[in-house]
Amino acid sequence: MTPLIEARGVSKRFRQHKRFPGLLGAFKTLVTTEYTEVTAVNDISFDIAAGEAVGYLGPNGAGKSTMIKMMTGILVPSDGTLSVLGRTPHLERMANARQIGVVFGQRSQLWWDLPLIDSFTLHQRIYDIPLTRYQDNLKRFSELLDLKPFLDRAVRQLSLGQRMRAEIVMSLLHDPKILFLDEPTIGLDVVAKDAVRRFLAEINRERGVTIILTTHDLQDIETICPRLIMVDHAKLIFDGQLGKLRSALGSARRLTLEFATDPGPVVLSTATLTNDDGLIKHYLLEREEVSLVQILSEVGSTRDLKDVALHEPNIEEVIRTFYQRRNTASATTP
Amino acid sequence: MSAYTAFVRSGFLTSLAYRSEVWANIFGKLVQVFARVAIWLAVYAGVTAVDGISIGDMITYALLGGVVMGATRYDRIIRHVGTALKTGDVAVWLLKPVHYPLYLLSIEAGASAYTFLLAVVPTIVIVALVYGMHPPASLFHGVMFAAYCGLSFIIHFLCAAIFGVLAFWLMTIFSLEWLLQSLISLLSGLLIPFWFFPEPFGSIASHQPLAWLVYYPSAVWLGRLDIGQTLLYFGFGIAWAGLLTLALTLLWRRAASRITVHGG
Repeated sequence: MTPLIEARGVSKRFRQHKRFPGLLGAFKTLVTTEYTEVTAVNDISFDIAAGEAVGYLGPNGAGKSTMIKMMTGILVPSDGTLSVLGRTPHLERMANARQIGVVFGQRSQLWWDLPLIDSFTLHQRIYDIPLTRYQDNLKRFSELLDLKPFLDRAVRQLSLGQRMRAEIVMSLLHDPKILFLDEPTIGLDVVAKDAVRRFLAEINRERGVTIILTTHDLQDIETICPRLIMVDHAKLIFDGQLGKLRSALGSARRLTLEFATDPGPVVLSTATLTNDDGLIKHYLLEREEVSLVQILSEVGSTRDLKDVALHEPNIEEVIRTFYQRRNTASATTP
Repeated sequence: MSAYTAFVRSGFLTSLAYRSEVWANIFGKLVQVFARVAIWLAVYAGVTAVDGISIGDMITYALLGGVVMGATRYDRIIRHVGTALKTGDVAVWLLKPVHYPLYLLSIEAGASAYTFLLAVVPTIVIVALVYGMHPPASLFHGVMFAAYCGLSFIIHFLCAAIFGVLAFWLMTIFSLEWLLQSLISLLSGLLIPFWFFPEPFGSIASHQPLAWLVYYPSAVWLGRLDIGQTLLYFGFGIAWAGLLTLALTLLWRRAASRITVHGG
């Protein structure tokens, strides 16, 4: 089966007028023809199949939104080819628009001054949705996301969480094959985040809507997206199952040993001591294959061991160490 | 009902959301129209006619200026387009299967209809009751006045939308608003009808597009143009509207391609 989205060596470079500091510089800025080039997306390739849910993760300015904009057709790639539903998005923007749904976490598509339901009916007209299908969809989605209580209220009176739920419902009314979400949970409280995540996961599973979402929030990815694409400094650094990220990025587990009496320094061949507080000692387990049993047998029964704790690194930690290592690496290489 | 008629409806309903604005609007328009009428009363003090134009004609002219210019707001259009382009909110519209300029036209038509019904009509009725107003010169002139009003709205919209798109490059909405405001007060005939302009300024003024905003609709109502001229200048107005549509389309395409290539 051909993939729904196919990116081959996609790059996006922006040209910016060079700016010069200071008062004289301001005049120089006015007349300069010099440009600085900023690469927002650098040689990224991936395939996304129908029905997948993909998390697109990266720090601020890593080029996540730029990639979403290219896939939706409102930005033209500088290099490489991009195919969405068999089309080149920016050349067939209108045809593409009918089959995709887009939600921007920071940009509302609702009609600010009108009751929420009016935004939905306008959407029905814009996309020419058959009335019965529109009513079915609206009924089902507003039940799932609990929009009923505020359908008649003006959008400007809604809370951020209510608005985001409404945005997502609206983006799905025309039965898009692909749903793009650019930071859909930004600024939401825990309850609202959870509602949005569960809804998206359900839409993906039950309706087979392909979901691509960008986020800083790993929890989004853990609940919605089995697959993760990670970018940093415009480049693709990881593409695969979330579970594999740990081994791919090689993050270590942490071990804590607690003794009843201070045994003095305890050196192990299986783990490296990172912090020695006397009674409590912290280690790092760099090798995946080392088991707890091996460690315990090495510690031996003679020492007065009271408690053992093994911490699997959570995904956030994995990524943090990855970025940190990357930054120190790029700082030392000239 | 197509998407665009739905936009007209939402333009109308959005205006309805700000009900207190209606009263501010009526009051503001009353002041404007009264001011223009007062100017002409002062100018005509003791004189029955200037260049064959009576004071009654001038009061009617001042009132008609309020009718054709009262509903559509170039500042609202410029600000709407300019802000959408500068903040990048326009991207949302590029993502939908609609043409943005047509969407703008529909929204503005709805908003203008609202202002026309709730602010313009009451204002004109009040002032007309106070000072009196001439009826249209003939049934033909009356019907053509309505057609000229439609044309006035279209040209008004096109000029404002062009200025709004220009804000994308010039990065200043406010100064463009002021520029268009000055151009309109002088060149639309809103303040002074062109028959009082010295030549050759009168001829020049009556052939540029803003003349169709106020001057021609009002001149037609007053019967200053005979049947042949009325139809001829209607044709010229349509030609201007065509040229402006072309200009707006080209500018919009350039802006849209700049957004999609350079990211705004």
